[in-house]
Amino acid sequence: MTDVDPATQTFVEQWRDHAYSCFSSGHKFCRNVCPVMGVTQDENHSPTAFHANVVAMEQGLVSLEDVARDYVHCTQCGACETRCPNTLMAGDFYRHRTRTVDLVKAMRALAVDNGIEQPGWKRWVDETVRVRSEPVLDVPVEQERVADWADGLDLPIGGETILFVDCEAAFHRTSLPRAVARILRAGGVAFGLMREQWCCGGPSREMGYVDTAREFARHNLADWRDGGVRRVIALDPHDYVAFTEDYVEYFGDDYDIEVVFITELVAELIRDGRLQLTNPVEAVATYHDPCRLNKRRGIFESPREILRAIPGLEFRDVDHVTQWSYCSGAGGGLAVERPDLTAAISGQRLDRAAALEVDTLVSACVWSERPLSRAGTDRGIEVRDLMELVAEAAGLGVDPPGTGGQPAAGGSAADRRMA
Amino acid sequence: MTEVLPVGIADHVIDELRGICGDDGVRVDRPARVNRTRVPAPFRVHRWAEHVPDVVVLPRSTEQTADVVRLANRERIPVVPRAAGTGLTDGATPLRHGILLDVKRMNQIRDIDLVDRTVTVGPGISMLKLNEVLRPHGVIYPDDPASYPCSMVGGRIGTGGWSLIGARYGHTRDLVISMTVVLPTGDVVQVGDGGGRKLRKASTGFSLKQLFMGHEGTLGVVTEATLELVPRPEVEFAAFFGYPDYATAYESTGALAKSGFATLAGVVLFDEWKLAYLRRDDEAYVEQPESLRAVVALAAYGNRDEVTPAARALMRIGRETGGDYLGDEVSQGDWAARHDRYAIPLHGRAPDGQVVPMSWHCEDAALNYSVLPQVREEWHAIVARYRERYGIFDDWGMFAYTNGAYKPWGDYLVEIDVGIWEQQLDDEAWEGWVNCKREITEVTLKYGGSISACHGASREGDVEYVPTELGGAFDVMKQIKRTLDPNNVMNPGKYLLDQAYEEAP
Repeated sequence: MTDVDPATQTFVEQWRDHAYSCFSSGHKFCRNVCPVMGVTQDENHSPTAFHANVVAMEQGLVSLEDVARDYVHCTQCGACETRCPNTLMAGDFYRHRTRTVDLVKAMRALAVDNGIEQPGWKRWVDETVRVRSEPVLDVPVEQERVADWADGLDLPIGGETILFVDCEAAFHRTSLPRAVARILRAGGVAFGLMREQWCCGGPSREMGYVDTAREFARHNLADWRDGGVRRVIALDPHDYVAFTEDYVEYFGDDYDIEVVFITELVAELIRDGRLQLTNPVEAVATYHDPCRLNKRRGIFESPREILRAIPGLEFRDVDHVTQWSYCSGAGGGLAVERPDLTAAISGQRLDRAAALEVDTLVSACVWSERPLSRAGTDRGIEVRDLMELVAEAAGLGVDPPGTGGQPAAGGSAADRRMA
Repeated sequence: MTEVLPVGIADHVIDELRGICGDDGVRVDRPARVNRTRVPAPFRVHRWAEHVPDVVVLPRSTEQTADVVRLANRERIPVVPRAAGTGLTDGATPLRHGILLDVKRMNQIRDIDLVDRTVTVGPGISMLKLNEVLRPHGVIYPDDPASYPCSMVGGRIGTGGWSLIGARYGHTRDLVISMTVVLPTGDVVQVGDGGGRKLRKASTGFSLKQLFMGHEGTLGVVTEATLELVPRPEVEFAAFFGYPDYATAYESTGALAKSGFATLAGVVLFDEWKLAYLRRDDEAYVEQPESLRAVVALAAYGNRDEVTPAARALMRIGRETGGDYLGDEVSQGDWAARHDRYAIPLHGRAPDGQVVPMSWHCEDAALNYSVLPQVREEWHAIVARYRERYGIFDDWGMFAYTNGAYKPWGDYLVEIDVGIWEQQLDDEAWEGWVNCKREITEVTLKYGGSISACHGASREGDVEYVPTELGGAFDVMKQIKRTLDPNNVMNPGKYLLDQAYEEAP
């Protein structure tokens, strides 16, 4: 290649063989599970193209400037990786997994390093840097109010186990962390809050702002260390992926924090009889497998175990493999740069729920719940968080969103109905 | 520095295309063009630029497609239709740049007719997606290639596809009832049997439907197709048998294929080389005794009342002809995974045993049952010579699949899978590869076969032999091409059809 900066050269050398494994195959099974391709039908947005571009860059046919915008079109859901024949058929033998999500993150980072920024993401990250939490849409976000959601719950600070409350949950859907806090307390799980919680850094990383993401991670880890934290409970899959993938990459062997996702813990509490679900929840529901749990981290059993334990609930399940192609469209920064596509993807997800003739779609990902709720309103389906259902079934009460901290201005109709 | 991949089409034409397809339906950016170039067939990466189209259009309707083709015909600009781009010949790879017509936005299901048992779709839908919608109605569209999850109806028509369960349900040509075709001049016609949209058999006029099946985009673009619906099978029975040698497995294949059961959906014969490859490099291979050297797989689809007795008889035939049943895990698992297993595309072996990334080439000759053993020996010998000489090829073994629709006994789709280390390709190695293909083709023709049972024969190494195989029929092809496409705009350069314009009219 000529006229290529050293960083791009290094990038291409690093990714060429991996990209080539996809390029030489070219069968594109990924395309039929890709939520973005499912709504745009544009080959530029296919996981195959994301790999082929690397080969084309090596051949000098396309430049970083040419391709950068295409890489916006990915929710980093991981469906393509799970569906890839290379992963499915040669994965165990050669310890190979097609790493499309990592490639997308790397290409976005390369773009940012080369001054190619997407306006929406730049604003988002700048604002996150300014206030230390994500600028959750339609809600005023101020760092000093990051724990206002817990007003009246009398939660301690620090301790061996802390609850990390995602920005969307802390400032928008406060009903979720309040439900989780009550559930943990009822189950006898001792936990505290961080001294000063910052954004997990995951979204910045997903958008290509690696240094910023690392700074957030360093702060959070230092906060945990100072407080003697050994275990972090995550209530949002995006945080969970950041803590179990990004932080491991940043801190290596020094990273000795146990990270547990809330559904795993709550399923255990129910299984052990430490949490009793006795109040019927009268709903006909299906479950939305959050991408980062199902496709990225293999968590799909505990949410179903919990749902089956809720009395009164009629649970119409769709298996987790079928759900490889399901997505809310909210992840990977897509909702910031292409809200139209997020809405279309959420709409498709709710169409699938509607076909099951349910009145409720249960998610375990707070970021999915706003776009899904909007799509649900049009179809008469309420979108609820699994932990809110558990709190209700355990007789712990569910607060309206916005309780404690900021009012949930601009929330969806479903939110307002719950309020 | 010279511009990389300049757009070789005048601005006013691009503007006109935008007027037809809308701004979001016309793409001149380099990634859009570069990513609609290759197919999974072996590809000269170092010559990628020669195949990049000037512009990509994504029409949403027959009307838009017709307007694009009419414009191209007026301006004498090549048009290459492309559906999924998963074909194993180069039908969807442009040879002369031009307009790449991507049909993926024509992916609607327009009509499901449960009374007359048809479904009408756009060409940009895959069989997997289509059947997701059809299954709750108790019907399916049974076109089931190895590429089932990714290939699309338009490409299946363009290549004249073959289905794994074609012995029971027929192949693409048998399953497409009628279609809407945009001709190279931009005129739109309906072709089927006679004039009816949903008729399976008529005697009115010429039988034109098959003319538009397997033409690799040289005669037009299909924009809508009416397809067969069959009852969703109650039972999908699969059985795998193992054999101590190829000869026994070959005899057993013949006995099973000739059994006469209407529910028999297909029989597949794996040779020793295929077994060796699976043992060596397929992590999903379920360990079998070393004495096992060949495998036969069969499947039977249909209603329980038919399949149950047929399966019992087929099991008996398999055993009586020397097969050891390999058990339910292999039989059900491998058959269920058949679409994922059609390519193990990640890697092959260099002659020194080193694992290297390889792409997959699959020869797909149609050959009669009687000649399979001899062809097999000659093909492997050819690949072994080229493997030794160039060091970038690998022999991944052979399959033979029953080939005839409803009558699976007489001929087979015969496949030799060859791995190619594309990263090492240069012009000399590519020429070596093409020569290897030529030798394979010569063996096919020597034994009275056809170059391609399903992929199409328009690639280098195949296409040179098409006039030999077809004889005077190739002259008819040229006359048809010139008549329908007077300006040679539809996928020009394919199938040696430029010759149609070189000769006196």
